[in-house]
Amino acid sequence: MALSRKTPIERIEYVIIVSTLLLLVVVTVQPILNLLAVSLSAPGKVPGMSGLAILPDGLSFEVWSVLLQHPNVQRGIINSIFITGVSTVIGVVGTALMAWGLSRPNLPGRKALFILVLVTIVFEPGIIPDYFVNKRLGLLDSYWSVILFKAVNAWYLIILIRFFEEIPKELLEAAELDGANPFQVFWHLVLPLAKPALATISLFYLVFHWNEFFRAMIYLNDQGKWPLQVVLRQFVIDGDKIAIVGADSANNNTGAGQLNLRALKAGMILLTIVPILAIYPLILKFFTKGTMSGALKG
Amino acid sequence: MTDRQHVLTSSRIGNVPTNSSRRKPGRVSAFADGWRRWWPYYLMMAPGILFFFVFHYLPIWETRIAFEQVRIVPPNVWVGLKHFQVLFSSPVFWQVLANTLIISTMKMVFFLPVPIIVALLLNEVRGGSLRKFIQSAIYLPHFLSWVVIAGIFIAALSPTDGAVNNLLGMAGIAPRSFMTDTGAIRWVLVFTEIWRSAGWDSLLYLAAIIAIDQQLYDAAEVDGANRWQKIWHVTLPGIVPTIATLFILNAGMFLNADLNQVINLSNDVVRSKIDIVDTYVYRIGLQTGEYSLATAAGLFKAVLGTMMIVVAHFVSKRLTGKGVW
Repeated sequence: MALSRKTPIERIEYVIIVSTLLLLVVVTVQPILNLLAVSLSAPGKVPGMSGLAILPDGLSFEVWSVLLQHPNVQRGIINSIFITGVSTVIGVVGTALMAWGLSRPNLPGRKALFILVLVTIVFEPGIIPDYFVNKRLGLLDSYWSVILFKAVNAWYLIILIRFFEEIPKELLEAAELDGANPFQVFWHLVLPLAKPALATISLFYLVFHWNEFFRAMIYLNDQGKWPLQVVLRQFVIDGDKIAIVGADSANNNTGAGQLNLRALKAGMILLTIVPILAIYPLILKFFTKGTMSGALKG
Repeated sequence: MTDRQHVLTSSRIGNVPTNSSRRKPGRVSAFADGWRRWWPYYLMMAPGILFFFVFHYLPIWETRIAFEQVRIVPPNVWVGLKHFQVLFSSPVFWQVLANTLIISTMKMVFFLPVPIIVALLLNEVRGGSLRKFIQSAIYLPHFLSWVVIAGIFIAALSPTDGAVNNLLGMAGIAPRSFMTDTGAIRWVLVFTEIWRSAGWDSLLYLAAIIAIDQQLYDAAEVDGANRWQKIWHVTLPGIVPTIATLFILNAGMFLNADLNQVINLSNDVVRSKIDIVDTYVYRIGLQTGEYSLATAAGLFKAVLGTMMIVVAHFVSKRLTGKGVW
């Protein structure tokens, strides 16, 4: 490596650069590790535990077992998986179909449709009109109000259009000469070629819908339909202890009520991140590549 | 048989039957021809187009209640600009507008340099696995929701057992409750924004750095340039267009001080300092039920925001060749 023929000053510089970046890594990761440590510590050890600790004091899985057995949390997990799953499928299918049409250079009305989409990016009338549209359609308090929020995302649509446009024209023309209709070309040629792009926008949609909480909060009155993010918010941000601990346990200091609230909150926050962590390697692979190539192409 | 095939076969035969010679001339037949070829695409686009109409264009139509008096028994009454007059004479509205501008300005000044510096430092790291490790760690927060991030920071900033106050305690500094400190809360917004997105944003600059011609570095080396001279004279000039683009785009989004962030990091003690237009719309609209006033405030922000984005787009296009879309 070139490092060997560097001067001592250059080596010191290099150490400073790497240390600065590693400090950044610590600042990023430590708060999350601290929550993990707190959530896994023995219940008696949690009070007074330092915010700097990254290893559990004693080891107990009680917090996690209480959380995972709690009906509100279980419902939240199921709701989140359902909403995220359905909206991602709808999003990817709807986006791909629309992008395919819009990527055809000679499509009549292409420009008008493009402007139609761009207007929605630059002009957002806000939450009250959105709320009224959902109300008029009778979607309030229904999963659909949340599932359909940004179901087809204009930005992702543009990304996919750009990708489809890169498909060599000769390939499409050859397929058309073979007598394939637009549906067949799309299914047998375009989709297989676009797998990396489709994977990327699937991940975009997954992350977006998993993390969405505001629409769910304002559209869903029925707590039984709340996704995990809203349950988390009620417990951690609004500090509604009863939401997780339960009124009986809270009053009588039994069951979950005996557990440290700080540890329960830590566990609840981490629980909400687990799916993101699970797909994080994929995110790194596809998002990073997508962003890099997008930036390079300019 | 598609039109394209038709054209190919007919040219092979040698005569020149144009569409108009086969069918009635005029716009109607051109439309019919187009429809025959393109209807499958429109069928496939139909769900998407319908979605945009219902969930993006109907809301635009709904903004008319900003000009109406909502009545329990329809129809609503047209009142013109009355709600805007109420809005503009309300001190709370000007306060939230000022908050929005202050927070956006702070974010712009203190956030923007961070990802640039991170990218410059990352680019100096030789050794692919070390660099990958650092990147994997610092990109993560970008994919967490604001509910989660707020939860993390409420814990980390706790006056009794939060990491920050524990550190300050070691230095002999008395603990502060940052989340309920009116002087600190805006900085909490700036810092959490940096924590969440500075790492990820550095990727955009890193991509621009990697695209710089290696020969420029070789030439600088021949001239005896050291690390910092290369950064100053080669790398930075190479990413100035990217910096300019992102700066202008951020300026276009100036009024979007992130509802999700504020709503999760806010509380009764500090609300007056970080109440932004979006949270104001939410509060007076959905919580107090003043739909028309809230819609008027939202519409005011939307129109101003649209003008800023469009201006930013054309400025960016003119200066750097890259736009918002």
